[in-house]
This record gives sequence, structure tokens and C-alpha cells, in this order.
Amino acid sequence: MEKYDAVVIGAGNGGLTASAGLARKGLNVLLLERHNIPGGCATSFCRGRFEFEVALHQLSGMGTPEKPGPLRMSLASLGVLDDLEFVEMSDLFSVWMPDGFRLALKADKTRVISVLEEKFPHQKEAINRFFDLVYKYANEMLAAFFFKDPSPSREKYPALYKYAFKPANEVMDDIFSDPLLKNLLSVYWGYLGLPPNRLSFAYFAMLFFVYIEFKPFHIKGGSQALSNAITNKFLSNGGTARFNCGVKKIIVKNGAVQGVITEDGDHIETKYVISNASQVTTYTQLVDSEEVPDGVLREMGGRSLSPSAFTMFIGFDCEPGELGITETTNFLLDGIDATDRVLNPMRRVDISDETMVMSCYDVSDPDFSPPGTCQVNIVTLKYGEPWMRIPPTQYHRIKYRCAESMLRRIEAIFPDVRKHIEELEVATPLTHMRYLGHPNGAIYGFEQYTKDSMFFQPGRHSPIGGLYFASGWIGDCGFQPTLQAGMSAAKSVLRKLNSN
Amino acid sequence: MKKPIFKEFDGYNGIVEEIETSRKYGTDYAVYRDSVDKQINLLHPSRMKLHISEIIDETSSTKTLRLVSQDGYLPPFLAGQYIALFLELSGIRTSRPYTISSPPNQTGFYEITIRRVEDGLVSNYLLDEVKKGDGLESSGPAGQFYHNPLFHDRTMVCIAGGSGITPFRSMIREIVECGLERAIYIFYGNKNLNDAIFHDELRSLSDRFENINYLPVIEEPQEGYEGPTGFITGDLIREIIGEPAEKTFYLCGPQGMYDFCVPELERLGIPKRKIRKDVYGAPAHICDYPGWPEEIKADEVFAVKVDGGPTIEARAGEPLMLALEKKGMKISSLCRSGECSKCRVKILSGKVFQPAWVPVRKSDRQFGYVHSCVSFPVADLEILL
Ligand SMILES: Cc1cc2nc3c(=O)[nH]c(=O)nc-3n(C[C@H](O)[C@H](O)[C@H](O)COP(=O)(O)OP(=O)(O)OC[C@H]3O[C@@H](n4cnc5c(N)ncnc54)[C@H](O)[C@@H]3O)c2cc1C
Ligand code: FES
Repeated sequence: MEKYDAVVIGAGNGGLTASAGLARKGLNVLLLERHNIPGGCATSFCRGRFEFEVALHQLSGMGTPEKPGPLRMSLASLGVLDDLEFVEMSDLFSVWMPDGFRLALKADKTRVISVLEEKFPHQKEAINRFFDLVYKYANEMLAAFFFKDPSPSREKYPALYKYAFKPANEVMDDIFSDPLLKNLLSVYWGYLGLPPNRLSFAYFAMLFFVYIEFKPFHIKGGSQALSNAITNKFLSNGGTARFNCGVKKIIVKNGAVQGVITEDGDHIETKYVISNASQVTTYTQLVDSEEVPDGVLREMGGRSLSPSAFTMFIGFDCEPGELGITETTNFLLDGIDATDRVLNPMRRVDISDETMVMSCYDVSDPDFSPPGTCQVNIVTLKYGEPWMRIPPTQYHRIKYRCAESMLRRIEAIFPDVRKHIEELEVATPLTHMRYLGHPNGAIYGFEQYTKDSMFFQPGRHSPIGGLYFASGWIGDCGFQPTLQAGMSAAKSVLRKLNSN
Repeated sequence: MKKPIFKEFDGYNGIVEEIETSRKYGTDYAVYRDSVDKQINLLHPSRMKLHISEIIDETSSTKTLRLVSQDGYLPPFLAGQYIALFLELSGIRTSRPYTISSPPNQTGFYEITIRRVEDGLVSNYLLDEVKKGDGLESSGPAGQFYHNPLFHDRTMVCIAGGSGITPFRSMIREIVECGLERAIYIFYGNKNLNDAIFHDELRSLSDRFENINYLPVIEEPQEGYEGPTGFITGDLIREIIGEPAEKTFYLCGPQGMYDFCVPELERLGIPKRKIRKDVYGAPAHICDYPGWPEEIKADEVFAVKVDGGPTIEARAGEPLMLALEKKGMKISSLCRSGECSKCRVKILSGKVFQPAWVPVRKSDRQFGYVHSCVSFPVADLEILL
């Protein structure tokens, strides 16, 4: 029987950094991925002369070589920085509304504030108060947790103690009176999956802080380049990777991991498994039910599945400027609602007035698509469940109907797009389900309610000995958090090995 | 930090209560077991068990196999898509993609239409050996060659060569049987009229339906043949279809046909975005391909070390994938035409020839990955599967 020090299930962001982190320390590691290519969400696919980016819109936490952010430091420690080229985006985001309203924010605190003050002169004081609070909160959070203050207190960190668990909309309501402004500053809820009345202020504060302080980035070659670079490092450090090879079972005996069985029926012996698959899959499918400790399902049952997404990938036979696209990250809004009402469109199949993010990478990286062309990735959040009820024979028709509505929304703002389409691909919640293997096609793991944040949940740990998790399902989702989750899982395994 | 400070944060107690309530009324995730696989198998099963319910003779070199599902379920597909058959022949585990030639509205079976390929391993087996009732294993439907209603025109100009008629047969049948508001011009090139698959069916549909226009083009006609002959030229297309604006062009056939017809279309001023090409396997005579290193002959043999273990021999004139399959190595495949990337392998040392058009991801190129179904060894290799 084959034997490894550790087996990693899944080559998404979390699985990749976990396996690379372990191989770097000389462990004999096997990485198993069901799909034919590493990356999970962090991937690309080719159509005609285009290579479409699947998931990365704005990479957070990078910072510059002079002022590195936490992600740059992590990637440096894995030794992959030399194989990658990062592209800084100058814009934070733009907002477009069908009535002609437009707002373009640069990733720079002073400029964000001055643009907002100009558009909303009556809210000048509130705007400054908001960003002061964002920065104060973020700095206190970092001091207490990232730099691990040995004696934290409410006196030292008043904003942290007061706002960490407070819903974002309550904080916004206290500060702003203009509903439009409030909602414009909440558009990042789309990156988190819940409206601001259900998310804690902490998430917004940290997102604004990391994007402004460490700038949003993209990667030459897209997120696939990152996935390939980490895989490559893993392989050159002696790791073994098998693609087109899913895991069928994690063998658990007497409460501890003994090995795994692949879909091809190979038995592999190991004492440590890091699962990049969801906890739902891991505990209900991979581990035999009699080996799942009491309480695990009850704990998980309190959490809910995040939405999936409806995504359109378009390759145009012209440059972005010709279509009127001048910014990389564009939020298309059809109204100014950021309350529970945004959940209604997410719960239905069809598309009409939802919030969408449209990224055109070629604006900040003219080499992204072939010369004289450009591509956009347009995404809106959709729960997977209604899609699962569509009869298979209706699937293609409904998928194109929704895509047509989405295209009309884009045309309302960029009228010439249809004339220039050279390639167009549509991904529905079922597509995400197929490529990620996650229940209901969830792209953000469990929903990010405060009650389900890392403070309150088991995170990467399991009551099963030798089993760890590294993914967007253990707490925070997104590239930066999942890449770092893998590093942490690797550290946990190493620590455990050393203590034995 | 000694004691977790978050317990002192404002709102902590409320959250603890919320957790209790949500667990009490929570989701039973045990029912989600297998839910993903079940759902995905309805649309994209990775493997299907089929059997042959009928064998239909088409021409002297072509037969249609009618395939029904052993468990009674067939996933939907888009006219123009293919399935890959997985077979084990004389000890070699291999696969071949075949376009579904029946229309998607025919939900009871799929038809695939197979034309004999000289010395072809699988086509000859399927034409000569299989019988009604035999079982076959396949992939789910796949492929990117279909009418995309979001940006393709309602008038389709299709150019087919040989067995390249199969996707268009599926599309035409769907259009007439479902009454779709679409029109098709179909130019079908063959050496002889006798080789034209579905000729009678297409001609009669063309006679009966105004929106179907079928035109066989014969390369080596018999004496007295009336109708267009030679290659499918831009002039001929222009003459039949009139103004090329608001029409999308679809090509399916051997590489030689693309090499000739695409420039012809471009000469008519048709923009790239309006020209769709189906995949059609690896180029047959790779040594004649532009860019092939002249000094290397098709029969030259190179040593390929696989996964640091066994070394096998591979011919320059044969796709790397085939050499691996012949030696019993397990390698995933689907399109066998360079398009799907399922067969991606890493070249650790040595060199392969892979035509420039193969859609390999940028970072795959950077890290030495190739699509092994369209890569030909031109040096000794070390590879990682
Ligand atoms: C459309 C879209 C847009 C996004 N935009 C952004 C953005 O702009 N910025 C950002 O930071 N984040 C974004 N995200 C989110 C981000 O991509 C994800 O949070 C992150 O990539 C998740 O990483 P993960 O480690 O959880 O692994 P995942 O990507 O979830 O991958 C899990 C892997 O495990 C494999 N697997 C599962 N089961 C098995 C098994 N049994 N055996 C073997 N392998 C298995 C799967 O095949 C998959 O490869 C976006 C996501 C999507 C889909
Ligand atoms: S099998 Fe599809 S690219 Fe090789």
C-alpha cells in the first residue's frame, strides 16, 4: 500500500498552499484533485483565442514589494513570488446605474474621500467619520489579533470591542443620512454574499482597509498562474500530485485518520488528511457516518450554505475603450437597495434587477487578452437551490434566457457590446457545483454570519484525529483568506507531528 | 492572549443565543450526502453505460449506431456536441469522440455516425465488430460547437467535409422538428456523391423546408454530374447565400478544409467572430504541418520516461497520448483534439511539437504543460502525468 506523511484532498487555494507548505518542510505529501487542473475556483479556461478568468476579481492583501501585505508575505514564504507577476489596479471600484449615475473610486484613501465629498457635499463630515472608523477598527483588529497583543483590553481597543459584532447597516445608519451614499459604500457585500444588515461591520471595515492600504491586484495569466505556480513549487519540493483523481473515502478508525481511498480504488495510508472539500462533503460523504463524532452534524446544521453564482464570460474583438469600459471593476446597480430585499433576486432563477460585478482585466493589464481584444467577467450571486429544481431538459433554455437578461443589463450601459462578441460562455450555479463539488454550488462556503465566524466555530480543526480543513468553508472566503487557511492548516499538521 | 477577548465584545451574548437557536432549527446535512453527484449526473455524467439498439447503414464506408441508455436516462445536449466512447481494444484502453448526429429533441436515444478511417483502430472496430445489443461506455455530452443564441445569427452558413456533416445533421433536424426560427445553408464537400452521408435525407428536407438549403459539392464528380464541383470556394458561397452580413459561419471537417475555407471566408470580409470551427481530432499528417522540424521523420522513435518510473517508446508521428495508451498507462481524455485540456501532462525535459493553435493556458505554457492528444515527441522526454 502507498504511504504518505499527509494527503491533501482538493487543489483549490486552500489545498494548494496546505500541500506546498507541508512539502516545503520535507514531508512526503500526496495531493489529490478530481478535476484535471489545479485551482478550484482559482482557474481559467480557453475558448477560441481567449483564456477566461473564472473567479479572481480583485486580489486583496498583496501590497507592494516595499510595503508588503500579509498575502505577499505568505506567498514569499512559499517561494512562488519569482514565478508570478502581479498587476496593481489603480481603481477601487466604479458604480454604474441605468439612470446615468456614475461613481469611480481610486484605491487611495484621500482620493476616495475627496470624490465622495464632491458628489455628496452634504455628507462631508459623515464620510470622514466613516473612513476614520474603518481605519481605527482595522488597526485595532490587527494590533490585537495579527500582532497578537499579550494584554488587550476595551480601553486599548474601543472600536474593536464595540463594532466587531455589530451589523454593518447599523453602523452605516448611525453615520450616514443619504441612502444612496450608504448603499454605494456597501457594494462590496457582493464579495461576501450577504446584505449589510446580515454582515458584521468588521467585514466591510477590513475589506476597505486591505483594498485601500494594500491595493487591489490581478495576476498576469490570471488566477490559474497562481495555482500553477504553487503546484509547481509543491512538485519541485518532492510532492506528488494526481489530477483526475477524486477521493472517495477517508478511512477513520478509533477516532483517527488511517488513510484515504481514491475513486480508482487505490488505498493510501496516512495519518494526516487536510480536506479542501467542504465540511459537508467531508463529514457526510468521505468519512463513514459511524465514525463522525457526535455533535459535528449538529454544529454544522446551525450554518447555512452561501449562494452560488451566475457568471458570464465574454471575449470581445475590440479594446475596452471602444465599448466605453474605462475601469477594471464595475458594479452595475439597478437601484439602491442593500437590505434583505437583495436576497429575493438571489433566491430566484431569472435575472432582472440584481447587482452585478463586471471585471475587465484588460483595462489594468493590456496583455490579458490577445492584442486588439478584451474580455469581461460578469457575475451575480444566485442561490443554487432553485437551479437544482430545473428539469434537465429545460436547463439550456433557461440558462440562455438568464444570460440574455444579463446581456441586456450590460447593453443598457455599454450599448455596443453585442456587436463585438467573439466568444461567450455562461456558468450557472450548477456549473459551479460541477467544478467545485460543493453542495448547492456554494462559492463562499457557509454564509458569513458573525455567529459562524472563526471565533465561534471549529475552523480548520476536527474532533477526528489527524483531520484538518483548509478552505473557504472554515470561516472567511475569498482568495486571501483561503490561501492563508491552507498555510495555517499546514502549520497545524507540522505542530502536531513535532509534538508526537 | 490568555483568555479569548471576543467574549467581552459587545453583542457576544446575543450571538451565543443565536447559535443555540440556529442549531436547534438547523439543517440536516446528512441528506446532502451524494446530492452533488446526483445533480451533476443529470447533466454531465462522467461515464454513461449505453447499448446499441440499432445499426443503420449510411454509405459503403459509414454506419450510424443508435445508442440507448442502460439505465434509461440520457442527459440533454446541444446540437453539435459529442460524446467520447471509452473502449478497450486488443489490450489498449483508449477513447474516441463522436458527434451526436441525432437531434436533441430525440430524447430516447443518441445516434453517432461513424465513417471508416484507414487503419483506424476504433472506427474499424465499430464498423466491423460491434453488434446490436452490445454495450458501450461513454462520457456525457461535451463540446463547444453549437448555436449560441446570445450572439450567433439566426442564419447559419455551414461548411462540412466528410463525417463533418454529423453536427449539422443534428442541428438541421432540430430546426425542422422543433420549428426553430433559424435558416441554414449547408455546403457539403465530398470526393464522390456516394460518400455523402445523409444525402437523401438532407436533400428531401431541403426540398420541403424553405429555411433549409443543402448543397453538395463534389471534388471528383462522375461524368455528367450536374451541380457544383471542386472545393467550397468563397465565390460559390457568396453566389448561394448572397449578402454575408448577419450570418454566422460554421465549419466542421478535416484540417485541410479549414486551411482552404477559412481564408476564403476572410476574403469575403467575414470577421473572425463570425467563423466557428469544430474540433476534428489531431492533424493526420503531422510531419507536413507548418513548423514541424524537417529533420525528424514520422517513424523516428523517442524514449519517454513517465512519472520518474518506466520508460516507453513513442513515435514522432503519433500523439504522445496514444503512445501512453498503447503501453497501458492511464491517461484521461475527452475531445482528443486539443480543446478540453483533460489530457494535460507536464514535460519535465525534452520537447514535443504541438500546433500553435492549440488552446493551452498561458500559465500552463509557462510551466511546461502540453495537451498530450495533440503533442508529438520530437526528442527524448521526461513527463509527469
Ligand atoms: C465567480 C466567482 C468570483 C469570485 N471572485 C472573487 C474575488 O474577486 N476575490 C476573491 O478574493 N475571491 C473571489 N471568489 C472566491 C474565491 O475564489 C474562493 O473563495 C476561493 O478560491 C476558495 O478556495 P478554496 O480553497 O475554498 O477551494 P475551492 O476553490 O472551493 O476548491 C475546492 C477543490 O477541492 C476539489 N475537491 C472537492 N471534493 C473532492 C474530492 N472528494 N476529491 C478530490 N478533490 C475534491 C474540487 O475539485 C476543487 O478543486 C470568487 C469565486 C467565484 C466562483
Ligand atoms: S483530450 Fe481534450 S485536449 Fe486532449
